[in-house]
Amino acid sequence: MKLIANLTLLTLSAALLTACSKDDNAVTTQPVQSVTVRDLPADPVSTTASSGTATQPVAATGKYTLYSLRDNKVIANTDSASNKWDIGFRSTSIIVNGGAMRSGQGGANVYTGTFDALTAIPASTTFAQDQSVTQLAVPGGSGNGWYNYSSTTNLVSAIPGRVLLIRTGDGTKYAKLEILSYYLGAPANPTSTTPSRYFTFRYTYQPNGSTTLN
Amino acid sequence: MLTSLLLLLIGIQQPAVPPADTMRSRSLDAVVVTATRTERQVGSLPMPVTVVGKAQIQQSGSLRLNDILREQTGLTIVSDHGQGLQVQGFAPDYTLILVDGEPLIGRTAGTLDLNRLTVGNIKQIEVVKGPSSSLYGSEALAGVVNIITESPTRTQGSVSARYGANRTSDLTADVALRQGKTNLYLFGNRYASAGYDLTPETYGNTVSPFTNYTGSGRLTSQLSNRVKLTLTGRYFAENQNANTQLTDQQLIVGAGRVNEYTINPVVTHQVSDAWKLMYRYYRSGYRTSSDLRYQTTGADYDASYFRQTFNRPELVVERTIRNRHFLTLGVGYIGESVEATRYPGRQLFSTRYSFAQFEWIPTRRLTIIAGGRYDNHSQYAAQFSPKLSARYEVSPTIALRASSGVGFKAPDFRQLYLNFDNGVVGYSVFGTQELAAGIARLQQQGQIAEILADPARFGTIRAERSMAYNLGIAANFQQKYNLPLLLSVNLFRNDVRDLIETQVVAQKTNGQNVFSYTNLNRVFTQGAEIDGSYRLTAGAGRLTIGAGYQYLDARDKSVVDAIRAGQVFRRNPETLITEQVKMADYGGLLNRSRHMANLKFFYELPRHGVSASVRGIYRSRYGFSDRNGNLILDVDNEYVPGYITWHLTAAKTIRQLTVQAGVDNLTGYTNPQYIPTLAGRLWYASLRWNWQQRPATQSNSL
Repeated sequence: MKLIANLTLLTLSAALLTACSKDDNAVTTQPVQSVTVRDLPADPVSTTASSGTATQPVAATGKYTLYSLRDNKVIANTDSASNKWDIGFRSTSIIVNGGAMRSGQGGANVYTGTFDALTAIPASTTFAQDQSVTQLAVPGGSGNGWYNYSSTTNLVSAIPGRVLLIRTGDGTKYAKLEILSYYLGAPANPTSTTPSRYFTFRYTYQPNGSTTLN
Repeated sequence: MLTSLLLLLIGIQQPAVPPADTMRSRSLDAVVVTATRTERQVGSLPMPVTVVGKAQIQQSGSLRLNDILREQTGLTIVSDHGQGLQVQGFAPDYTLILVDGEPLIGRTAGTLDLNRLTVGNIKQIEVVKGPSSSLYGSEALAGVVNIITESPTRTQGSVSARYGANRTSDLTADVALRQGKTNLYLFGNRYASAGYDLTPETYGNTVSPFTNYTGSGRLTSQLSNRVKLTLTGRYFAENQNANTQLTDQQLIVGAGRVNEYTINPVVTHQVSDAWKLMYRYYRSGYRTSSDLRYQTTGADYDASYFRQTFNRPELVVERTIRNRHFLTLGVGYIGESVEATRYPGRQLFSTRYSFAQFEWIPTRRLTIIAGGRYDNHSQYAAQFSPKLSARYEVSPTIALRASSGVGFKAPDFRQLYLNFDNGVVGYSVFGTQELAAGIARLQQQGQIAEILADPARFGTIRAERSMAYNLGIAANFQQKYNLPLLLSVNLFRNDVRDLIETQVVAQKTNGQNVFSYTNLNRVFTQGAEIDGSYRLTAGAGRLTIGAGYQYLDARDKSVVDAIRAGQVFRRNPETLITEQVKMADYGGLLNRSRHMANLKFFYELPRHGVSASVRGIYRSRYGFSDRNGNLILDVDNEYVPGYITWHLTAAKTIRQLTVQAGVDNLTGYTNPQYIPTLAGRLWYASLRWNWQQRPATQSNSL
């Protein structure tokens, strides 16, 4: 028993030493960059600002817009039963690729703090998964998850200081993500007639599998 | 100089008899009944009380109750389904409005529309700040406004007519008859306006045309040496047109009606010098109905009604002990009912209550009042509301006063049973007892887009309760320094728990919301109020200068805690960068101005029957809504800018005729987006004729 423990320790030390020396010599490793995605449509219903003066009604599809954080691109909805995507958007609902109702191994945690100050996923973080429509990793409802809804202005606003900690669909990588706007063009003063269900968000994806995020 | 200017303004220059009314009401010897349920001089009371007399009401050119109350220190009018009163930072729901000691009913979304009340038959308005639940029970949490109506004891009459901007007209007439030991007083008022439109580019008026009528009467009869009967009644009716445009461009037209009546017989029996009994009965009914139709087809769009009744028998016993101490005991029963398109069935409420108050005057300088009231509701846990207050006269000039008490407000019908789908705008509101069924129904109809808060969380709401402290100092420089200067300072603090607020529960497919009510944990309001008046001789006349200021700090304690814990953030909408909110950024509860002030000049030239006033009312910026996602008030663009309004009047009395002209909101300040109730500059002119059976006595009460 003691022998095995010692062996493990030895292996770990070796691995760490190797890692250090690797890092010292690496030329390709860079600090991870944050990426901003603008106006990602999340099944818009009411209108869309077309090039002309008129606004055209757009029928809702009821489908989630699936997104790969690694590739920074939309994944076709036909690939929903794969682990290619990490996060999905539809109206105010956000899903992750993990849990009883998903195919992947992903998860999410709603963290309170600023995006910039968060340099690593805290050790105590537990990742929730999408177990059912009413039990999503990112809870729905005003004030519960990522947004507040104002009855006075009739607007959905991303709660400042809420960061989504994401485990990717393949279950091996981590990212932090902050929703910035729910409205087309992320206007400073949206009104109730501003086209909604367009997500602007920024995220930092750590490709090396560690929980460090800067 | 000022005199000639005023005379020029009115264009009449004749000697006349002085007006019967004066500014006496500002002094500390005005007798009030609201604070203790017994007649007491304002200056002798241990709690903050404001009195507004008939003279000030008339000189200010006020028509409705909100006109005169908004000019008083520490009071402001806020608009939410009517013109309501904000006292010590509390919304209108928390102030009890009484007429001759009996409560008015008929609140919409918690607001009792003060525009419903004409000032024409008011003798005096008494405002007690701080909780008076120890005497009046529910709703008397922030304060009590008691309207004392006219009760003349000689034969007299008056007729007045006024016309002004927006085709606003007011006709008032009253007559008092005396026959032996019986007095009869009758009063009638018609008030109408064509409304106004601050946003002509959109369909519909900002305020739609309306007409209302008020009739009231009082019969008092001294049945014997010891028994007096008073029978009071009041009737109010209003019609208002409505026109609005739906988002699909369809036009909706219709009319709304409001009716209200009160009946109030009181028998006062002075059993002996020491014992007095009062048997009171009060009944009030309030009903509204509206019928909205499509303009093109005439088809029904929305029809609704609301009927409320209130019945209250009450027995009050007053015991005077050795001519110095006073004991008041009361017991009563309240039966209420409500029936509406928006409530399921006919809902009933009842309260059994008793109260006691002991006024102890151990020395000439010290008064201590202790009291409490026990309310046993049919729907809620019983409430006990104690109050203790004391006044100490340090010197003939300075008096200290302190009071501490519990106030409460039971959840009302609306917060429990409302079941309302707004046809015009498309939102829904459910009382806590109706929420589950309401959400289920909407879900079944496919109207719910998303549940935003767990309906189970709403559960049963509790009565709101506050603990309040008022600490004040009053100075009257008249007696010792022969200086007509009055100053008072009052510090207040109210700690409220279980405050009931509307909250969004779900979003509907039409983009509107489903609301319900919930106990918002803890809130406090605190502040300071300073009020002063000074009277000086200016030429042959008298100038009374009044000034007041209130500092208010009203915050949600859970927000304060969250900010302290570093859990509240905000995002700059331009740069989209998030930062932590600091305590200094938190602006407190919405719709509360940190600073409010007034400055009033009343000028009287009794020998020439001339009077005039200039009044300025200031309200500093106040929060309107959140704009940066954290739901709290913390950045500049979440505020409505502060503003000041100026009001002028001038009047001239010739024998029995008084001519008055005035301008409200002299600078024409408006803010159509955020303050639709603030019409622009309004001019008016009025003529009043007073008649008395034995004229020429004209005793000037100064």
